Amino acid sequence: MGCLQCKAKRLCPKRENPVKLASQTAFSVSEVEALFELFKIISSSLIDDGLISKEEFRLALFHNNKKKNIFTDRIFDLFDANKKGVIDFADFVRALNVFHPNTSQEDKINFSFRLYDMDGTGFIERQEVKEMLIALLSECEMKLSEEIIEAILDKTFMDADTNQDGKIDMHEWKSFVSRNPSLLRVMTLPYLRDITTTFPSFVFNTEVDEVATLSENTRSG
Amino acid sequence: MKIFKADFDCPPWFSSSAKKLIKRILDPNPLTRITVAEIIENEWFKKGYIPPRFERADVSLDDVDAIFNESRDSRNLVEQCEEGSAVPATMNAFELISTSQGLNLSSLFEKQMGLVKRETRFTSKCPANEIISKIEKTAMPMGFGVKKNNYKMKLLGEKTGRKGHLAVTTEIFQVAPSLFMVELRKSEGDTLEFHKFYNNLSTGLKDIVWTTTDRGKVEEKDGDPFVPNSPKSAFTPKSENSLKNSSKALICITEAIVPKEATSEQQKAKGRMHTKCL
Repeated sequence: MGCLQCKAKRLCPKRENPVKLASQTAFSVSEVEALFELFKIISSSLIDDGLISKEEFRLALFHNNKKKNIFTDRIFDLFDANKKGVIDFADFVRALNVFHPNTSQEDKINFSFRLYDMDGTGFIERQEVKEMLIALLSECEMKLSEEIIEAILDKTFMDADTNQDGKIDMHEWKSFVSRNPSLLRVMTLPYLRDITTTFPSFVFNTEVDEVATLSENTRSG
Repeated sequence: MKIFKADFDCPPWFSSSAKKLIKRILDPNPLTRITVAEIIENEWFKKGYIPPRFERADVSLDDVDAIFNESRDSRNLVEQCEEGSAVPATMNAFELISTSQGLNLSSLFEKQMGLVKRETRFTSKCPANEIISKIEKTAMPMGFGVKKNNYKMKLLGEKTGRKGHLAVTTEIFQVAPSLFMVELRKSEGDTLEFHKFYNNLSTGLKDIVWTTTDRGKVEEKDGDPFVPNSPKSAFTPKSENSLKNSSKALICITEAIVPKEATSEQQKAKGRMHTKCL
């Protein structure tokens, strides 16, 4: 894979130009570079190949790469835009862009819909919601009776499923979210605003410097 | 080193007034360096600048949302509260689902930086009124002002901490009849102090926190009270009431904001700079 060379240049594999990524997202060039610092930490935690595997993603979130969580796995799948089975830096930046405080509600709503539409049918079916709810309760170790679970689902679908067809389509979701904006809270990461102060070491690894030459900049972080 | 000599260059597209301001901010000599008050008065800075509105008492949730960029719509909550007798709003399936740690990408940052969470939750089987009253009784002797308004509560630290006063939002939601989820979020102040505050508070709240033991001891996993609630016992409803019949209400506890004037302005000024100092 040529990763020995990659290590020296920190360009692994086919890392997209930070300026290009910045122009396509809400991040500034510095912020993209700061994100790369975070990406490096996560992507090298199990295998240092410049890519985030599913296990490395779980590890980053839970400090435990064995812990299976359907939501984490689903988010991973959404980050992995080209279904490669791994997340590269461009995927990472583009996906995190959706979580940026400045990103449009529309983008967040679309992402959240895809998130909950686990099987990608274009609808959030009642059964899917039930599975997610059960997963959540098990995560919190809260045992609720079947009756209570069904009641929660009934209430949710009464509220969200306006045409009462047993599933929530994008249109219904948009309307539901506008009535319950707290649902989008998971879609915004305030930490992204402070990314350059959280990972200030990007300054030493920056590739974007009008004054210095490229060779000067390639200091390994 | 370049940074000590303030040896930097600004990109060519910077206006001269921006460059001048930056030079004065990046002055290595703290005695001659521009002050925040002067920055605010600077012509370039003032262009298009809207001073933030800081509110102390009776802050509306709208402002809180705007400042903290949360998507919680305060207007909804307020309206629900004013509809006659307020009771905790029932969480719908998605609201419950979104409390999953698997969806909390903040962990990516917090874990890497060794930060502690800014929020935490626990569940309780006590009536909502009792929860509020217990939190109030526990927080006040800890030096926290408590403001209640129709099931809204603000917890405001009286002492100034590392980053100003600690302010905490608490919200209570109904998961099922006789089961409530209480969410505590730091809205202002130092997160480590919030962590300490919650440690102390949870000791006082252990009677109302639902856990495996009947005595309601708060369990800490690996000493981390920020692990999402760990009740293990099976829950069976006391009555046959289904959620369809239960009344809905929301106990909202609003955030109190204390201005951190200097920090936020400095951040804003620095945010406009894209130079690198090496």
